[in-house]
Amino acid sequence: MELFTPEFGLIFWMFTSFAILFFVLAKWGWPVIIKGIDERADLIDKGVEYAQNAKEQLDHAREEAEKYIAEARRQQADMLRDADKMKTQIIEEAREAAQKEAKKVMEAAKQSIEQSRKEAEQNFRDEVSAFALDIAGKVVRNQLADEKAQKQLVNTLLDEIENKN
Amino acid sequence: MYILSMKKVFLILTMMMVAFIAPSTAYASSEGEGGELKIKETIFHHLGDGYGWEVPFSHHHRIPLPVIVKDYNGDWHCFSSSRVTNGETYEGFYISHGEEYNGKIVGKDASGKVYRPLDFSITKNVFALWISVVVVLMCVLSVARWHRRNGSKAPRKGLGAIESLISFIYDGVIKSTLKDKAPRFAPYLLTVFFFIFGMNLLGLIVIFPGGANLTGNIAVTLVLAILTFIMTNLYGTKTYWKEIFWPDVPMWLKCPIPIMQVIEVFGMFTKPAALTVRLFANMMGGHMIVIVLTMLIFIFAPMGAAVTGATTVVSVGFSIFMLLIDVLVSFIQAYVFTMLSTIFISLAQEEHHEGHE
Repeated sequence: MELFTPEFGLIFWMFTSFAILFFVLAKWGWPVIIKGIDERADLIDKGVEYAQNAKEQLDHAREEAEKYIAEARRQQADMLRDADKMKTQIIEEAREAAQKEAKKVMEAAKQSIEQSRKEAEQNFRDEVSAFALDIAGKVVRNQLADEKAQKQLVNTLLDEIENKN
Repeated sequence: MYILSMKKVFLILTMMMVAFIAPSTAYASSEGEGGELKIKETIFHHLGDGYGWEVPFSHHHRIPLPVIVKDYNGDWHCFSSSRVTNGETYEGFYISHGEEYNGKIVGKDASGKVYRPLDFSITKNVFALWISVVVVLMCVLSVARWHRRNGSKAPRKGLGAIESLISFIYDGVIKSTLKDKAPRFAPYLLTVFFFIFGMNLLGLIVIFPGGANLTGNIAVTLVLAILTFIMTNLYGTKTYWKEIFWPDVPMWLKCPIPIMQVIEVFGMFTKPAALTVRLFANMMGGHMIVIVLTMLIFIFAPMGAAVTGATTVVSVGFSIFMLLIDVLVSFIQAYVFTMLSTIFISLAQEEHHEGHE
């Protein structure tokens, strides 16, 4: 069967062709391509790694930012609370001061009233003593005259006082 | 829309080409002197080699190719195959018909005895071989050029397809089997894959640049298998040779009568033999099925127009189906050849034996 008997000529040409093909491709083809593919794979790996790192950093940054925001909120709340405290304190102080001042004013007023009263009392006393002396003087003056006259005098004086008042 | 319609037109044209050319060439060559069918001869003619390349629609015109032969005196003769294709004799050489060297160039020596000269002719197969070499070179070198120029950018479209095929073979077969020794054998194995794949695909094209049953020729597959054999044994490690000539088996199996050695050495040669026959038989089988299906039309031709018409439709349908299957087989056989070569080489690369007791 001719199909199963290899031809020497074809074997020779096949060998030559393959040798040429192999030589050319092994020198200018495969190494370049394999190197290129490997380099690209490395590049892709590196890119993926870089992206992962970037993502991690981004996540980290977000966390950090959230932390800062929370901190700021806390500080704000503290400040508000402090301000509130200060406000009540100031009000309290103001009230206290006002009370003190009011007390002082009242005290002064009391004192002056007391003084006025005392003065009035003194005046009254002086006046009463003057009246009394007057009356007594008049009584003493009319004593010796007549008992009837005395009585009349006293009554007159008392009427006078009564009328005066 | 335009592109789609162009595609459709192209598809229809291709189908028509297949439907018309295959039967017409077969018909042309199957018509013997008396007009009767010579089915077996036609089939083997199409499976075999030839001087000159058939053109569609004509059996008498062929693309002439150079014939290079060395006669019994040791003189070289070089002439166009068109001088002998139609049965003429030129410089004492003619194409044998039905004799010992059927279809080959033969000559007659001084005593009138027919002899076969040393034949280095650029036959159809040799020329197809060169076309395959050029096609593979162009494909691979264009990818290499891209890599040299564009650095680590990825190629697109056609180049991208070739590159992904390269990385499919390199990563999937060579690297995963040979590990750190992959770069040393990768050029050989990749060349083998792409050469076989290119030859297989070109063989499926029905007209001129293809159509040669190249990988279905035992000489081609034999050379490839011998090359793998050489690569395996040339780079074989000490462990590999020890495994062959002094394997770890009971002494009586290897000492007085070298049973294991005989088996191992036999195994060395069965591997390339299996490679040779597998690729050869698969590709030849594919070609044979397609041509036989086409021949059915002419076998049924005498039975009338209706039968012939029905057979034509069925045969052409099946032929197209088989050709499509052959596209798949082309890839699978190239892949299998490469994979087995890789495995044979990697088996000879074993550095240490685990079975020490």
